[in-house]
Amino acid sequence: MNLILLGFLYAFGPSPSQLGGTSPLQKPLPPKPSFSVLPILPRRTEEGGLSSAMAGASKEGFSGIVNLTPHKIALCHLIQYFTPAAHSSLPIPFKSVSQHNRLGLFLFSLTRACNDFVEPSLDELITQFKAVGVGGFEYDWFVDWLSEDLTSRLSALSSPDDLYNFFEKLRGILSPAEVTNMEDEQCFLDPSSHLGVFIRCCILAFSILTFEGVCHLLSNMAAYCNSTDPMYGLPEEDAFNTDLVLQESHEYHELNRASDKYIHDFEAGSSAGESSSFHIQAGRPLYGVPDKLFLRSKWQIQGYLNEQADLLERHAGSFRFNTFEATLKHLQKMAPDMHHVKYLRYLNNLYNDDYLSALDNLHCYFDYSAGMEGIFTGSSAPPVSGIQVGRYESALLCLGIMHTRFGHSKQALEALTEAVRISQQNNDDSCLTYTLAAMCDLLSKIGICSTSGIIGSQYSLGLGTPLSTQQQLLVLLKRSLKRAESLKLTCLVAFNRLALAGFYLKHVNRPLLSFGPKASIKLRTNPTHVCKELRLSSYLLSEFGSDGLSLPNDNLEKLINSPTSFNGKRTNDYDTFHFTSQPNPIPGSVLQLAGASYLLRATSWELYGSAPLVRSNALIYATCFADSASSSELSLAYCKLIQHLAVFKGYKEAFIALKLAEEKFSSVSKSHIHLLKFQLLHERALHRGQLKLAQQVCDELGILASSITGVDLELKTEASIRLARTLLAANQFSQAAAVACSLFCECYKFNLHVENATILLLLAEIHKKSGNAVLGLSYALASLSFCRTFNLDLLEASTTLTIAELWLSLGRSHAKRASNLVHQTLPMILGHGGLELRARANIAFVKCHLCDPSFSVSDDAEMVLDPLRQAAEDLETLEFHEMAAEAFYLAAVVYDALGRAEEREAAAASFKNHIVALENPGSGSEDEQRICDSC
Amino acid sequence: MGSKESYRNELRSAIRQLGDRCLYSASKWAGELLVGIDQDQPRSSAIAGKATPSSSARPHHQQEHLHRDGSSFRRSRSRPGGDSEVFSATPSGGVSYVSTPSPVEDEIDDGADYYLLAKSYFDCKEYRRAAHVLRTQTSKKSIFLRCYALYLAGEKRKEEEMIELEGPLGRSEVCNGELTHLERELSALRRSGAIDAFCLYLYGIVLRDKGCESLACSVLVESVNSYPWNWSAWSELQGLCTTLDILRSLNLKNHWMKDFFLANAYQELKMYNEALAKYEYLLGIFRFSDYIQAQIATAKYSLRDFDEAEIIFEELLRIDPYRVDSMDIYSNLLYAKESFSSLSCLAHRVFLTDKYRPESCCIIANYYSLKGLHEKSVVYFRRALKLNRKYLSAWTLMGHEYVEMKNTPAAIDAYRRAVDINPRDYRAWYGLGQTYEMMNMPFYALYYFRRSAFLQPTDARLWIAMGQCYESVPLQMLEEAIKCYARAANCNDREGIALHQLAKLHSILGRSEQAAFYYKKDLERMEAEDRQGPNMIEALLFLARHCKAEKRIEEAEMYCTRLLDYTGPEKETAKSLLRGLKMAQSGFPSVEFEHFGP
Repeated sequence: MNLILLGFLYAFGPSPSQLGGTSPLQKPLPPKPSFSVLPILPRRTEEGGLSSAMAGASKEGFSGIVNLTPHKIALCHLIQYFTPAAHSSLPIPFKSVSQHNRLGLFLFSLTRACNDFVEPSLDELITQFKAVGVGGFEYDWFVDWLSEDLTSRLSALSSPDDLYNFFEKLRGILSPAEVTNMEDEQCFLDPSSHLGVFIRCCILAFSILTFEGVCHLLSNMAAYCNSTDPMYGLPEEDAFNTDLVLQESHEYHELNRASDKYIHDFEAGSSAGESSSFHIQAGRPLYGVPDKLFLRSKWQIQGYLNEQADLLERHAGSFRFNTFEATLKHLQKMAPDMHHVKYLRYLNNLYNDDYLSALDNLHCYFDYSAGMEGIFTGSSAPPVSGIQVGRYESALLCLGIMHTRFGHSKQALEALTEAVRISQQNNDDSCLTYTLAAMCDLLSKIGICSTSGIIGSQYSLGLGTPLSTQQQLLVLLKRSLKRAESLKLTCLVAFNRLALAGFYLKHVNRPLLSFGPKASIKLRTNPTHVCKELRLSSYLLSEFGSDGLSLPNDNLEKLINSPTSFNGKRTNDYDTFHFTSQPNPIPGSVLQLAGASYLLRATSWELYGSAPLVRSNALIYATCFADSASSSELSLAYCKLIQHLAVFKGYKEAFIALKLAEEKFSSVSKSHIHLLKFQLLHERALHRGQLKLAQQVCDELGILASSITGVDLELKTEASIRLARTLLAANQFSQAAAVACSLFCECYKFNLHVENATILLLLAEIHKKSGNAVLGLSYALASLSFCRTFNLDLLEASTTLTIAELWLSLGRSHAKRASNLVHQTLPMILGHGGLELRARANIAFVKCHLCDPSFSVSDDAEMVLDPLRQAAEDLETLEFHEMAAEAFYLAAVVYDALGRAEEREAAAASFKNHIVALENPGSGSEDEQRICDSC
Repeated sequence: MGSKESYRNELRSAIRQLGDRCLYSASKWAGELLVGIDQDQPRSSAIAGKATPSSSARPHHQQEHLHRDGSSFRRSRSRPGGDSEVFSATPSGGVSYVSTPSPVEDEIDDGADYYLLAKSYFDCKEYRRAAHVLRTQTSKKSIFLRCYALYLAGEKRKEEEMIELEGPLGRSEVCNGELTHLERELSALRRSGAIDAFCLYLYGIVLRDKGCESLACSVLVESVNSYPWNWSAWSELQGLCTTLDILRSLNLKNHWMKDFFLANAYQELKMYNEALAKYEYLLGIFRFSDYIQAQIATAKYSLRDFDEAEIIFEELLRIDPYRVDSMDIYSNLLYAKESFSSLSCLAHRVFLTDKYRPESCCIIANYYSLKGLHEKSVVYFRRALKLNRKYLSAWTLMGHEYVEMKNTPAAIDAYRRAVDINPRDYRAWYGLGQTYEMMNMPFYALYYFRRSAFLQPTDARLWIAMGQCYESVPLQMLEEAIKCYARAANCNDREGIALHQLAKLHSILGRSEQAAFYYKKDLERMEAEDRQGPNMIEALLFLARHCKAEKRIEEAEMYCTRLLDYTGPEKETAKSLLRGLKMAQSGFPSVEFEHFGP
């Protein structure tokens, strides 16, 4: 579960969201294609009508002065076609009203998207209006004519004077402000209409251009027009082997290279909807930039980077480190201003476990960006006089998260504590909230056995009295939740609720004060708390669902209220021009969180012991949230499903499913799937009696965990438990007990009480098998009390069963008591238990009856034979030889008593088979081979 | 040193060849070196120069050199290309240098006229025009000049574009548009083997600009091996030697120019003593070289030998009053010595000489900084950086100014750029650490101090800074702090902070024995340096108490008595301590006498 939390933090929290306002959460949705609702106006009034319709359109779109680019000049040309002056020598042969209207709408959408626009090349422009069908279906020649004419007109702009003349002429299509007489034959563009404003902005931008600017524009024009020229091949020698050329809005210096590489995978004739191939597709996992991708504006690069960051965080393992690193290095070279690239490099290093480089890049990024969006501030040099205050607390937050990931808990804690201090000092509430959440994540994930190491942080966190780590965590979680609620950080609220649910699931809620009159409280976990938090966390989804376009007003938005940064959040405005696609009303990150709640539900049911609910929740997750899930989370859901299969359907089916899952998550290293494979292999080896193999798997499992104390606790615990079980199976009782005891101490130290219930049960089993039933009873009873405290119902049933078995082994006189206990557990076990548990229950049930002197086999043979048959069947599915042999033995005994010799012989033969199989376990060579392969 | 004449001849020819190829700064460097050669035999000169190193004789010498230089120039004009046999003579003497044949000049053909025209254009800074004139010429010289002119034209355009598009301090690094073309041509030339040392030098620069540094390195090595007198090539090579390993891996021919290169490289790699040794050796031949003197002074400044460095700089300025090179180092020195008036004089002087030199701006900025006028200082640093964006020390110093102005983000930005220009600049790393520490982020600052200390592990200040971070209230990692201070104390900590802190930390941690040890050491140090102050009192007080607790009465008494020299509350404490000691003493001896009495 913890991974989810961390995944969230990466996705939302630290830097890109806070600094750049670019978290997935804040990605504003592309506006719906609003032109579709515009009425198509009749011919006569179209200018006036359209103009007035457009006059009300967003004028704020052209705030300030636009950046004059070749694309805009092309648009100006198109507008010129659209609005031919009556006395113009070049009448446009519009064939129909609808044709004209189409062009109008097309231009409208283009100019709307023009502001912080990712500008298409001339080709794309032409392809687009071909696709839109400006000419109507039967007038393709018109489009051809238009595109040719446009191209020739643009290429004709070969000297600065041409440009001057063009803009002079452009002035002519605007009607003078005082002329409102639309009866006039002349067609003018209303200066206050959308297109009029656009034209005016362009004219203004041109008139304030310096001569150098005009020259740059001119050379850009040349590149723009030549973009289709096939004679510009790739340069013979390119030292960088670039597959990416980045052309910033006025990066004319790229002229040579740009024209060389003006090739992109835009296929002529593709529909407008497919034009998304031009930019990065979100769903596809990318290793770096696809070939020949052309990135142009800073916004687009930022959008690209954000997308990559998102992908990196979600599918960390699937990135090829070196390829992506090379791409990033290249990007950095091309755009040294783009500090975001350094952040991406940090992420890339982080997920590829390159500690030193990650550290360097992190510091580098924050040194340059000052923890703010220092990226697109126009002039990069800070003004001499204006003293800025950096937001370096986010740097600390990131540093803390980085250390957390690398398992440096002490450093992480120091960094986060410092982040808390600096956030408080700088009144950065949102950062503080995120930091608290990160701290909770750290505390819940990493075992910190004593508080002595974090005394310093306690003081600065204002916790005052020394508390246990758990209590600290609870206080922090509640504080973080409260803050997030007051700041309306919806996602963080949901996250905190999930974390709180996770806390309630595993921890007994104790009073914070350790003195004073103690109210009598039941020291138990409360499933309703967990349930409540889980449900509350899902409200997030409904908040988005009710109003697709209104994003929760994140406070962060206030922090970045400059117009440029607002624009920056549109990762790709090119989307606006998708006629077909509808924006998804719910951001991926929100879905991810909502999904996480289902995964947590599955986990909680796993603990509470309801297998069907685990399965259904995991299924819901895997089917509904797979798109937004990170690969690690998704693999976790798959694991749960496969585990379910293994427990209920046997190993054969589980291994088939595992193979499928392995293929799906092949790229993810150190994943849950990997772990699951070991678990299944181990279980099967134990059941089959292949102890050597089991030992080997145990060792492999142990290697997976980090060697640092307090890190990867769950994995370490799991490995130790499995080791103890292997030893138990090998009848090395004292060693098994020693391992289990030391594990218990370890878990106690790190407050892993849920695990302790299992370990105590294991100890009981060890003593049971070693013949020391009395000692076993005490362990089993201890385990029982743990189970009750944490509401671990299925484990409790299993423990009760063990107790019954222990009683049975104490002699016939306890058969009645044991029988009662077994009967007690049956509803739970038969309802939710797996094959093994059910078989155990059945056998115990039979044994109780056989021991019971008042029970006579001959009276009611089916009473014992039916459970035995059931058990034998289940155990054969599991290939659990030892217990299957026991079942058959009992069956043979019963048949013997009944005098059914034939059946007795059959049972005895099966018994023999199982015993032989147990004593001569298959070498398991294929399995060993598999392990070797997988490692 | 019988080979001095051959050095001279080599240099003379080199100056001519370099000048002919418009490699002016290399030519200038060689020229300066030429006049710096010591007289070995009076026969070579019409005037019997007394080779006395006394400063009064030096202007005399210089004139003499210049005169000789002129004559040689005349001679060479009459016999073009006739010097090559002179160079082939291996210099005899203690060092076996490899002789390097001077390149044979191209024969005079029709192209030579075009070459002359192109060179004139070049001299008028009409680079593209020069390249255009040479477009059909195929001689090696013409090819070089054409490519070089193109490169410079591209550089010029680059600079212009940088200003047109963004502020000159902006990070938008426009690249030289000619690089791709040049690289293609030069690599083809190199493959065909028809490349000369000068084109190799240019190729090296192009490669460096394109980011192919290892290839650039090997190309430059080729260049200097075939023509060692091009100092520009050596400098470029030095710029690529960012670590000692790279330097050692270079396969260089043993030419005397290599010694200059090595000395310079050592200096840049902060191996000052090695650099000094090399320079001292070279000084034996080029006794009057200002360049060597300036380098020596710089090395001495870096070794914090301020007084000697100052003397050399003063002398340099006296001989060459219009010198601006390395005067920024001198200004740093004056800043460190807090010589207000000298620094202002220097600033005034360079201002009159050439105010638009980065060094001049830096000197003026230093002056303002010393006066505490940080805003003005920043203005001048920015100007210096406008003139040379890669001016490392200016970035760092500007960072310091911003720190003084409490403009931390700007300071961090400035330091960071210095670090990006040269990741081995420990001062900038230190500055970054300090800035973050100032912002109350000691944990974050640690990273920078660590980087800094990694680069300069012998600098006590860095370890102290790190120790202070660990010791700070939020971190309170005293054990780590102790380790840092111990390092600092071993690194000859001048200010004696480390010992005091060590003692204090040990006493806080209750290790009074170790604390006493360090207090004692600190006390000794203060006594040796004849310092007084609160640290002294603290040490005495602690030692007095400690000795008392340890029952070393006499020692305790001694410390108490010393404490009595001071005023303040400690005096009273000492008095009471003494009283206690007296009482203990009066009790003790009686017991002892009883015991050991006859």
